[in-house]
Order: sequence, then C-alpha cells, then structure tokens
Amino acid sequence: MQGETASAALSLGLTTTYLSLIVALPIAALLFESTNIGARGFWDVVSSPEAVAALKLTLWTSIAVALINAVLGTITAWVLVRDSFRGKALVNAVIDLPFALPTIVAGLTLLALYGPRSPVGINVAFTQVAIILAMLFVTLPFVVRTVQPVLLELDQEMEQAAKSLGATELQTFRRVVFPNILPGILSGVALAFAKAVGEFGSLVIITGNLPYKTEVSSVFIFSRIESGDRAGAAAVAVILLAISFALLLAIGVVRHYTTRHDRG
Amino acid sequence: MSIVVKGVSKRFNDFPALDDVSLDVETGSLTALLGPSGSGKSTLLRVIAGLEQPDEGEVVIFGDDATGLAPQKRGVGFVFQHYAAFKHMTVYDNIAFGLTIRKRPKAEIESRVGELLELVQLKPFAHRYPAQLSGGQRQRMALARALAVEPKVLLLDEPFGALDARVRAELREWLRRLHEEVHVTTVFVTHDQEEAMQVADRIAVMNKGRIEQVGGPRDLYEHPETEFVMSFVGPVNRVGDTWVRPHDLELSAEPSDGADEAMIERIVHLGFEVRVELTRADGEKLWAQVTRDRCEELELEEGQIVYLRPQHERVFSAAT
Amino acid sequence: MANALRRFGLRGIAFAYLAAILIGPLAVVFYRTFENGFGAAWDALSSPETVNAFKLTLIITAIAVPANTVFGIACALAIVRRKFPGKGIVNAFVDLPLALSPVVVGLSLYLLYGRDGWFGSWLTDHGIQVLFALPSMVIATIFVSLPFVAREVVPTLREIGDEQEQAARTLGASSWQTFRRITLPAIRWAVIYGVILTTARSLGEYGAVAVVSGHLQGQTETATLRVEERYQSLDLAGAYSISIVLALLAVLVLVAMTVIRPKEEAV
Repeated sequence: MQGETASAALSLGLTTTYLSLIVALPIAALLFESTNIGARGFWDVVSSPEAVAALKLTLWTSIAVALINAVLGTITAWVLVRDSFRGKALVNAVIDLPFALPTIVAGLTLLALYGPRSPVGINVAFTQVAIILAMLFVTLPFVVRTVQPVLLELDQEMEQAAKSLGATELQTFRRVVFPNILPGILSGVALAFAKAVGEFGSLVIITGNLPYKTEVSSVFIFSRIESGDRAGAAAVAVILLAISFALLLAIGVVRHYTTRHDRG
Repeated sequence: MSIVVKGVSKRFNDFPALDDVSLDVETGSLTALLGPSGSGKSTLLRVIAGLEQPDEGEVVIFGDDATGLAPQKRGVGFVFQHYAAFKHMTVYDNIAFGLTIRKRPKAEIESRVGELLELVQLKPFAHRYPAQLSGGQRQRMALARALAVEPKVLLLDEPFGALDARVRAELREWLRRLHEEVHVTTVFVTHDQEEAMQVADRIAVMNKGRIEQVGGPRDLYEHPETEFVMSFVGPVNRVGDTWVRPHDLELSAEPSDGADEAMIERIVHLGFEVRVELTRADGEKLWAQVTRDRCEELELEEGQIVYLRPQHERVFSAAT
Repeated sequence: MANALRRFGLRGIAFAYLAAILIGPLAVVFYRTFENGFGAAWDALSSPETVNAFKLTLIITAIAVPANTVFGIACALAIVRRKFPGKGIVNAFVDLPLALSPVVVGLSLYLLYGRDGWFGSWLTDHGIQVLFALPSMVIATIFVSLPFVAREVVPTLREIGDEQEQAARTLGASSWQTFRRITLPAIRWAVIYGVILTTARSLGEYGAVAVVSGHLQGQTETATLRVEERYQSLDLAGAYSISIVLALLAVLVLVAMTVIRPKEEAV
C-alpha cells in the first residue's frame, strides 16, 4: 500500500510542520522568554499590584460574563428552537454577527449606544460595566450555538413521557431537558469564558484602559509591550496561556464524557 | 484456484480477528463465508480485497501473490454492506467510475454502463442520485459498479444485511441468477445460514477467527464436523452429549424399545410445519419439528405424553 | 395561559438581550455614520490611508485563507483518517487559537521575530523584515484563523465515513484520485463554510495584528487598525464609516453562512 503510505505521510507531515511553525514555535518563544527572568522574577512581575489588579478584574468580569451567558444564552437558544415567530430565521442569522464583526468595530459600536453621546442617556464608557458589555457582545454566539443543536436533536417524546408521568413544566425542564443540554451549556460557557479572558479589540476603545480600574490582562500585556517591558508582558501572557489550555482540557473532558454517555 | 489464502492471522489491538486461516476458492464458484458477528468473516473478505493488511500469512489471487498489493491493483470488485454509494454522483457516474479512472474511451464506457444498467435493471434510473433510490436499487447499483471494471473476483460484504426481508429474498434469487450469467468467482459474507445455503455452492463456516468447516450446503447440514457447525447451519436439540435436529426426532403415541417418554408443553402451528415443545421425563427440554399432516395423524395435544426416538443423532469428540 | 405567558416572557428576555447587546448599538452606528450625509462618510473612506488600509487587509486575507484551507483539509484528514502518536497534542494545538488571547498570539510572534528574538538576529543579518511588516501580520492572521476549516471538515469527514473512499480504491482509484473525486466533493460545503469563517476572522483581526504591526501609517495599517487610529485622532466620522464597511462585510459573511448551512446538512 505504497500510495496510501505516501499520502498519509504527506497530510501528516504538512499538518505537523504547519502547526509547529505557526503555533508551537511562537508559544515556545513565549514560554522561553518568561523563564528567562527566573521564578523569582516571574513572581515579582505577576504579583505587582497593577498585574494583580488586571488579573483580578479579568477573572471576575469573565466569570460574570460566563454566568450571564449560561442563563441568557440558553434562553435564547430555547426561544430559537422551541418558539415560533415571524423573522425567526433573521434573528437566528444575527446571532453569528459578533463572530463576523471585527472586535474593534464591536467596541466602537457599543460606545455609540452606551458612551458619552448615548441617544438613550446611558453612559458607561471607561467603567467596568463597559468591560462586561463588550465581553457579552463578543461571546454572545457561544452558548447559543452549542445548546441549539442539542435542543434540536432532543427527543420531544422524552418530555412528553415525563409530562404523562405527572411532571410539571418546570420539573420536566429540570429533570429531563436540563441534564441533556448541560454538556452543551458547559462547553459553550467554557468557550465564552476563554474568549472573555483573552478579549482585547472590543475593550480598547470603550474601557479607556485605566490601570487599576478598567485595565484587563490583555490590555496590560499590550501596554507592557508598547513600553518595551517584554518580560513583564510574557509573564502575564503565560498565565493567560495556562488558562486557555486548562479550558480546552475542560471542554475536551466534557466532550469525552458526553460521547461516552451517548454510546450508553 | 482463483483465491488462495494461506495461514492468515490478523489482530485488532488484543482481539484476534483471524487466527491462522487458510481457504481455497475455486474459479467460477459462488462461496459464502458464514458465521456469527465477530467470527472474522468480514475481516477475511477485507484482507482478500486488500482493505486490511494481515499480520501473518499470504493472499494469492490467480497465481499472483497479492499480500502487499494495494486494493486498486488487485482486480477485485467489492460490494459494501451499506452500499458506499458515491452520493454526489448519478447512478450512471457511479457505475462508470472505475472505467473513468482507467481513462477508457467514452463510447466504450457508455456501452458498458448501458449493458450493466440493463443487467441490474436500473436503466430508467441512470440519471438519478443514490439518495433517490431504494435500498435494493442502491445495492444493485453498487454491484454494477463493482462489475463494470470486469474484476477477476467479486467480493460482497453482507450484501443484503441492510435490506428488509422481502427485498432480501428477491436479491438472493437475483444474485444466484446473475452469477450463472456472469460467472465471475464470487465470495460473499453473511451471518444468515439460510441465505448462505440458498445462494452459495460452497460455504466456509467461521467461528472465533477460524474456519470450522468448508463444504457444500447439504454436506454441511448432514455431516457437520463440529458442534458449532451443527448448531449454526440448522436448528438443533442438545441433550447431554448428543445432538439431534428437531425433524430427526420421531414422535409416536405408543411406547417402543429405546424411546423416551416426554410431555407436550406447547404446540406451535406455522402452516406446513408444526413445532412441538417437549419436556422429557428427566426434565430435559427439547422440541420436534413435524408436518401438519403428521401432527393430525398423531392427534397431538398439549399435556399429552408421547414417545421420542431420535434419528441421526450425533456425538462430537471433546476436541471442540 | 400560564404556558403562553411563560413563552412570551422567555421570548421577551431573548429579544431584550439581543437588542441591548447587539442590534441597538449597530443601529446607532449606522445612524451616526450617515447623520451628516453620505458625502462625509465617502470622504472619510476615500482617503489614501484608508484605501491602503483596506488593500493591506485584503492582501493579508488573500494569503491567510488559502494557506489555512489547504492546512485545514490536510489536518482534518490526518485527525479523522489516520492513527498516529501525539494526535491529542495536534488536536490541542489546532483548538488553541480559539481559546487564546490575540494579544498573547501577537506577543509570541513579537518574541520570536523581534530584534532580540530567536530569529531576530538571523533575519536582521539577512535584511529580512518580519516584525512590523507584512510577514508577521500574515503569520498572526494565519494563527488566529487557523482552526476554522479543520474544525468544520472534521465532523463531516467522520460522518461520511471511509466506505466511499474504500470503494473508490477497490475500483482502481489512486489516493489522489480518491481525494479529488470522492472525498473533496463530499466535504465541499464544510470546506466552503470553513473558508467563510476563516475569511471573516482574517478581515476582522485586531489584537494580534496590533502587536506585530508597529502602526506604520500607510504601510502596516489594516482596516481594523485604521478604525482605532481614526478614533484616537478624534475623527469619529472616519472611524464609523470604516466600521460600517467592515460591518457590511460581516453581514455578507452572515448571508453566506445562512445560505450554506442548510445545504451542508442536506449532503
């Protein structure tokens, strides 16, 4: 099977070479830079008050955004699957807009409605509320798009069976629907959280990047690069990298568990 | 010999799918590989086709060692259980695929595909897509596609497994007739002993990665060499070490020498055939197969005591 | 009755959420862009710097998308059809750009190709400018848009299985013929969908490119960087009009996604 082996080698060789050059090598350079300053130096950088403030801010806003997404994203997915109204196809298409829209445009857009010139009189520019708004904008599709297919495939007979056995609407949701869509919600929430932790473009304009107040980790890294502090930038970046890997791992575990569950 | 398989073994992780299997397939024959799922029959077929590589042993096709040869160079036609129809091509293009790959002249392709469409009775459907065909039609298309390149041997993997009972019966009959017409050496895999006996002229019974016995349908039924073959190629009663087929269990209303007493538990009427479920005096349960006429003649009733006299009973040595 | 109430309640929540986060802000931007007439918007768009910025964005996209398409298909084939050691690592690296901050991506490239980076001195010696120039911006864009084709093709490849490919091989097709005639047509909608996503991501990338570009006006300024530059220069009209063009491109992408998605399911 020589032809077979050659083509396998080709696709595998291309994949690993490309991944190494584009992804692995730069990540290695980042890790190397952060070890350059030693464990002590690393700790000094990440425990500096400004870095700590940025990391804390990033984490609590991202957690808030993930939780809001879990609830409102699930409701939106539910409405898109189970409800019927005119213009549903349009609403469904619009869900992907934050994905297609450049993040810098998203930030500018939010500033137009919730900034100093707000037509509705709400001005949250340069506040932590603005951070949450921007993160909500860019993470909107994740939970909706992971829960939606699960709801679509969910056997409605299961719910009918639950109701015929005397379960109320709420009990049916809690005991039958929810356990089935939970893995979808979890992986959507994890993706949204990852996106929120790393978000940069949409925050640049609307938050004003005020240290200790509206400066999240990605903005902190960016300002360190601008001021030539490579080691400082790299140290905080490694923390974000670790969070990303941990979340991917968590999503992988959820996925593994659910597919095993499916096989029964 | 068309196909010679010599000492082939194949493991998947820890599971021995084939264990030192040897098989000769005569030119022009229609051979069935019969066995339960997991017996290795599909793996053996895929090894012959080159879709799996054996860990040990060799495959010779028409005198040439094909063991290391890629499937596209073996000159075999393969028909898959789930058809493997090319969904984005019409029936015509599906059948023409092998010829197009070989860059045959257009006119030749047209006439050859036309012939095959005729042969598999799909002429009116030439320009439909597989999704617009029934299961039986798709399987006939897959057969025509495999035949188009005039393979030296035709291999079919559970060709009728995914079809409903009626279509399956029709296609069995049709495959038998097709083989008489085309006469290409054919090997097919099945788990259905009735299908194997109805279609094939030679059957290799497989179990746990080994071939238990090879022979004609009647030969296997009447002279099984192992317990497994005895129980797999037809219904059977086992009483202690003795095996007897239900229609070889003679019933009579009167006691006689060497006959066992038994009580009728249940009588099931299946038209011409009647199944009589019995419990022997020693508690053993078994069943007998009698004709409707015989049942009436004996005036059999549930709860009645009858006398059993086994014919052609068999005892197998402990080797199996 | 209670049922209807609950339904409308949920619908209301979903609509209010979408309106507050998504539709409202976009509507205001459209209004603001054109409140001084189309002329002002057009002037802002036709300035040479802006035209250059859009050109640069298109050049980067035109390199990144084909590269990631070829990679994505090869990668999906390797992941689905082959067994090899380290598959888990390959999977993790393919997904990483989805979960990693674009600024971290930019920084990594900065550290690799910058003056003091691993390749920095070698590149300087040979007079090759990677950082603060097109190459690093292309690599940054490739990095962030890398997963999309692969992630779309993987499930489709799994679903179609390999029986059709095996059938083609028993009928005499070589590996390349099998790929061209059987595999590629079967995955084409997934590939197109992935290409659309990759294009959207490439056109809109900001953070990673911002780090490696060096902000040289008229040279390394993409459309998204130009939006930020206009905003910082207090030219809101300019920032809005470029944003509107990018938003319209996004809408085009949405339309393409909506049109293609049902087809993909039909295959």
